[in-house]
Amino acid sequence: MNVKIFIQATCSIAFSAIIGATSSTAMADAGHSTAKLIGQPGKVADATRTVEVTMYDNYYEPENLTIKEGETVRFVVRNAGGFVHEFNIASPDMHKAHGPEMMMMLEHGVLEPDRINWDAAKKMQASMGHGMHNDPNSVLLEPGKTGEIIWTFTGRATLEFACNVPGHYEAGMVGQVKLTD
Amino acid sequence: MINRSLLRAGVISGALALWAGNAPASAGEYSLTVDRVTIDTGDFTRKGIGYNGASPGPVLRFKEGEDVVINVTNNLSEQTSIHWHGLILPYEQDGVPGISYPGIAPGETFTYRFPIVQSGTYWFHSHSPFQEPDGAYGAIVIEPKKREPFRFDREYVVQLTDAHPHPGKRIMRNLKMMPDYYNRKQRTLGDFFRDAQQGGFGPALSDRLDWGEMRMMPNDIEDLQGFTPLINGKSPQQNWTGLFKPGERVRLRFINSAAMTYFDIRIPGLKMTVVQSDGNNVQPVTVDEFRIAVAETYDVIVQPKEDKAFLIYAESMGRTAFASATLAPREGEKTDIPVLRKDPLLTMADMGMAHGDHAGMNHGAMEQAAPPTHTMPDGAVMQGDAHAGHAMPATMDHSMHGAAPAADPFYAAGSGLTPSAADGGRFLSYADLKAQKPLYEHREATREIELRLTGNMERYIWSINGVKYKDAEPLKLQYGERVRFKFVNETMMTHPMHLHGMWSILDNGNGKWNPVKHVISVNPGTTVYMETEVDAPGQWAFHCHLAYHADSGMFRKVVVEGGPSAEAASPARGS
Repeated sequence: MNVKIFIQATCSIAFSAIIGATSSTAMADAGHSTAKLIGQPGKVADATRTVEVTMYDNYYEPENLTIKEGETVRFVVRNAGGFVHEFNIASPDMHKAHGPEMMMMLEHGVLEPDRINWDAAKKMQASMGHGMHNDPNSVLLEPGKTGEIIWTFTGRATLEFACNVPGHYEAGMVGQVKLTD
Repeated sequence: MINRSLLRAGVISGALALWAGNAPASAGEYSLTVDRVTIDTGDFTRKGIGYNGASPGPVLRFKEGEDVVINVTNNLSEQTSIHWHGLILPYEQDGVPGISYPGIAPGETFTYRFPIVQSGTYWFHSHSPFQEPDGAYGAIVIEPKKREPFRFDREYVVQLTDAHPHPGKRIMRNLKMMPDYYNRKQRTLGDFFRDAQQGGFGPALSDRLDWGEMRMMPNDIEDLQGFTPLINGKSPQQNWTGLFKPGERVRLRFINSAAMTYFDIRIPGLKMTVVQSDGNNVQPVTVDEFRIAVAETYDVIVQPKEDKAFLIYAESMGRTAFASATLAPREGEKTDIPVLRKDPLLTMADMGMAHGDHAGMNHGAMEQAAPPTHTMPDGAVMQGDAHAGHAMPATMDHSMHGAAPAADPFYAAGSGLTPSAADGGRFLSYADLKAQKPLYEHREATREIELRLTGNMERYIWSINGVKYKDAEPLKLQYGERVRFKFVNETMMTHPMHLHGMWSILDNGNGKWNPVKHVISVNPGTTVYMETEVDAPGQWAFHCHLAYHADSGMFRKVVVEGGPSAEAASPARGS
């Protein structure tokens, strides 16, 4: 499990061990590292374009993405909804594994419908050793906030961008990343 | 004018469902006939009442922003009416004889005219005595102006009822004559000796005396048994089937149109994400099972990924019967039907005895502790095991082993009715419901009104504050106030309370996210609060939606005083 440092960021945050907890599944499936499967964090300099993604309650615009294999894309993600939403690029299995962690945040009062409760996050960090932190493949945004991800799509896995706030993925807040040659 | 043919449409495409309305307000004209029809459940065939020649009637599909004109022709030999359940409209259009209008005489055509100011899943039914139990109901689906906050590829209405071989009038007569006429699960002398053997003669006897004093029986969960539950008019053997392609998101619009029956609904093998309740979107919550009170609606999204049939399984709350239907990739495919779970038994908690006297009950359902013992009104403390023989309802078998799920605050602590998911996992609670987009600014209520839900089971009289409808003054509300209703259920039955014309904001402890509903179910031995923004002038019905409770007196007329005149508030008056 990846142990990560607790960082109180205003925008780019996610739950600990997203990659760590799910990579074993992905690896068992394909025999590759997760990073290679889903791609890897990119550098601004390599970004060929900027894609603006707007999050509403509870859906994205655009609804799907088409990206060239190997392309590095800078995503500027804006939460125009009234609820906390996530933009997370991962495989369906990784999203599935991430869901219960988001549920735990909800149950600990960290994830309120329209805000992230940092006091509750600190308490959860103290009591459970889990907390909020940066993760390169996702941003969790309060209403009105904007975040950024730079991602290089080197992988060949089936990719989705999704919101794992409990109930949101199931209600349809998920889009396909179509990789083209 | 467009004259739409009203077909019970099986499916409409997701594209249509995501209809974005920039179109100008349209006027749709619809026609319904109220007819004598034959109801064939497979178990029995009887005469009943339907719309456009069938029961259930058609699915009325409206668009938010549309002005509807609905011509209703009464082909019966008695008066009829149609109430648009959950719709916000001028009171003269609400369809309650004696409150909104005189009703529709035999041979008459009444034209309803009202604007559609909301979206979601609703239903319609007769508000004339005993017609709805006889089959006079149908569904309403209103497409929103704006994009839905969820996504689905297809949708189905799943409308439940409890078809009974006896006509409603006869059922009422029988209940009045003998309130346990339809209770086929009477506890016998044999049960008494079994209780005595397990728990001792003393506790068993005192327990029996307690129940006798309440004029109730612990298995009296369903006043009315012997019905055949139907889904979209089909019994389990007739097997209504909704088709899907694996991987599709399917929206199921559950509507409980039963006269008397609550259902516990699950789809083994699928999680259900609840996205709407009573026509108003809720923050999505994924569950394994949910209970639907009489007259409620719940919209859920499921995503069957496997290429196989799934069962929609709805057990009646008293476990005397079940409805079932199938979701299948192809017509004719089926899956196994599980056996009914054991019937639950009411406990002392459901008698309200776990709380001492009611004077001390000014705490909400949310605040109830979970005492391991029951203090009787005489001060005697009953240990949990004093109930041996009946205090261990089958539904608790799951929760007693392994991790007990958090107690549902909307049931009395120790209630025999507390549900748990049959196949494990999460059972939806009222506490889980949070408005997706609150309709009203959250504010302090201006006044509290206590409504004790009361009854005399022995004489089959149901009442509010001990007074039945016939003897009661109307409840007067002032336009512009926010009233906090305090329901104190002093009976052992569950009552789905329905206020017409204005929304019921359930206080489930979620503050500004408190969900907006049109039916608030109040369990035995509990106190539940709801708040209403009094924003609709005129006079309205307010009642328990169990058909025979409403008809025997658990009913009030509500008069809203002040505010814009009814004339001004209703640009489209009926004929």
